[in-house]
Amino acid sequence: MVRLTPESLDKISKEPCDKPANWIKVGMSSCGIAAGADEVFNFLSEEVKKRNLNVEVKKCGCQGNCYAEPLVEVSIEGLPSVTYGRVNRDIANKIIEKHVIGKMLVNDCIYNTVD
Amino acid sequence: MYEKTILIKDTDTKREDLTRQAYTQILDFLRHNDQHSRIQVVRVADIGLYDKGLVIKILPEQITYANVKEDDLKRIADAISFNKGRVEDLVYKPKSKQERLVLKNCGRIDPESIDDYIACGGYLGLKQAIELKEDKVIEEIKTSGIRGRGGAGYPTWMKWNFAREVASDQKFVICNADEGDPGAYMDRSILEGDPHAVLEGLIIAAFAVGASKGYFYVRAEYPLAVERINKAIKQAYDCGLLGQNILGSSFGLDLEIRLGAGAFVCGEETALISSIEGKRGTPHPRPPYPSVKGLWGKPTVINNVETLANIPQILLKGGAWFAKIGTATSKGTKVFAVTGKVKNSGLVEIAMGATLREIVMDICGGTLTGKPIKAVQTGGPSGGVIPEHLLDTPVDYENLQKLGSIMGSGGMIVMDDDDCMVDIPKFYLGFCVEESCGKCSPCRIGGFQMLGYLKKITEGAGNINDIAQLKRISYAMQKASLCGLGQTASNPVLSTLKYFEKEYIEHIENKHCPAGKCSHLVTYSVIEEKCKRCGLCFTNCPVSAITGDKEKGYSVIQEKCIKCGKCFEVCKFRAINKK
Ligand SMILES: Cc1cc2nc3c(=O)[nH]c(=O)nc-3n(C[C@H](O)[C@H](O)[C@H](O)COP(=O)(O)O)c2cc1C
Repeated sequence: MVRLTPESLDKISKEPCDKPANWIKVGMSSCGIAAGADEVFNFLSEEVKKRNLNVEVKKCGCQGNCYAEPLVEVSIEGLPSVTYGRVNRDIANKIIEKHVIGKMLVNDCIYNTVD
Repeated sequence: MYEKTILIKDTDTKREDLTRQAYTQILDFLRHNDQHSRIQVVRVADIGLYDKGLVIKILPEQITYANVKEDDLKRIADAISFNKGRVEDLVYKPKSKQERLVLKNCGRIDPESIDDYIACGGYLGLKQAIELKEDKVIEEIKTSGIRGRGGAGYPTWMKWNFAREVASDQKFVICNADEGDPGAYMDRSILEGDPHAVLEGLIIAAFAVGASKGYFYVRAEYPLAVERINKAIKQAYDCGLLGQNILGSSFGLDLEIRLGAGAFVCGEETALISSIEGKRGTPHPRPPYPSVKGLWGKPTVINNVETLANIPQILLKGGAWFAKIGTATSKGTKVFAVTGKVKNSGLVEIAMGATLREIVMDICGGTLTGKPIKAVQTGGPSGGVIPEHLLDTPVDYENLQKLGSIMGSGGMIVMDDDDCMVDIPKFYLGFCVEESCGKCSPCRIGGFQMLGYLKKITEGAGNINDIAQLKRISYAMQKASLCGLGQTASNPVLSTLKYFEKEYIEHIENKHCPAGKCSHLVTYSVIEEKCKRCGLCFTNCPVSAITGDKEKGYSVIQEKCIKCGKCFEVCKFRAINKK
């Protein structure tokens, strides 16, 4: 890795953060993992690979809504970013089929929209 | 592709859930008007509001309607379909909103990626600090008004300034991540979700005071946090943010992790320092304060995780920006870990000055069971309980102290009728007795004695004079204990005595626990009219204290009953009386 200088830091920070792209983030802090986030993360990663989808599956920390873990935030171009809660394999599958492929939000699983 | 989204959720829990009905109605309207390929309707599980009737949220406009009646649905659907703007009389303006400074990256970035952190403005605070030079950095921290988030609320700039002013060949910085309060896990979440922010804060602290060596003191029970800090430190070394010549300057810093060995008292700064030195983790008298004479006798700044996580942004956006948030004496935000009988347990970050009611009711949705709140406990074993009628108090360091509690590190436990106000302090005091290091007698003996009185009272053997005795020992411990543990251990007792003395008296005089919690004081019996003679209590009683059969019905043999409550739990007809 290259050593950072004040100039290079400045340059990176001017690039847009959170570029509009297709991604799925799984909350992987202790609370998420305790609720089964590991399985959800693996499932989503495998499905994305298997179906050759243009989506990046990423890990992130806890958003704070620990009661609804595992939390999965989904951002797909053309749809509002939303966070799904209490996600299990079944819901994760719906996220892939309905949200990512079908381009519509999944009913009854959204815990708070990201604003 | 949809242009708009309608989110919908019925938040009234006292009647039948109308979410589906309203969903169908809106969908029908959209279909009828040929809008359903342009606008999608989605039922959601949680819309962020509670007890506000039918709630509808429109995206991307972010308009929220609350308490929507059936007749209003059409107006809303009509307005969105034909771009008529918002339906003003139904718009809901939330009064309490979370404000995320410390948690801004948590849940957004990959905590194991320094690139993610830098892409979101990470390490610009450090760059700014190095450009400002040491004195100006401390000046900014002073302007910001930030106070320690680890419990005592000491102004951060003063600590830094003391350490800076002492001449010494070696100075240290320490991040206190020993978070041991029962019910508190803010620091863990910050470390697991955004470790680089804490690291950057610590590097800035080291720069400001002139320290060349630092430690992360993390409790060993947080393996994931340890792993992520370890990665963060390694990445920072690789990028030249640790080691020599940080960001091309002459400033250098080395950092190491030290694991806490599982003692609560090791979170106390002087005990923590002993622990790092390899000695037994027991506190020392202050002064001298660590800022002057700390680790190996050298000036040492020791700050809490959350305090440090605030620092980079203060540098980046300026102390004046930070000082605008919060109240006159307490600046910025505070992260609370809300747990207990609450509907949505989790982390809440809110500007200082928000009321407890906003946190517990509006943001966390009130109690899980819908029962009224009895009290809220803040500050863990060093704090106290705040009764329901005082929940409108704005949260800041001074206010909570006036109420007999403390801000503490940010644990917040919600309690309802089922929580006994003698049992709760017994739990906390039990914790402190267990965790007392035993070095000073007020804490070692006082805590033990107090616990004895509380046990006596909850077992129905209390005497009315015990209350005065509890108070007497409390004051002695407050005055004479060596460290914060003993000085504050009696707070849970004193605050419950202040607000719920009646409950103590009820235990003592009537041998009765109003919450039905103290097992010695409850009796279980079968309510004949309700009993369906299913026999579940009979088969589940572990000591055969229930007699009878399906013909004659059942009853409890009081002499045999061990008050475990199993029969009460298993009865599907609420036919067991607990009194
Ligand atoms: C018994 C006891 C336990 C403590 N535990 C912690 C802890 O786990 N984390 C923490 O940051 N501070 C803890 N403190 C407070 C520290 O002594 C110290 O005040 C704090 O780390 C200073 O950081 P701040 O100024 O950033 O708040 C504890 C204090 C006492 C008396």
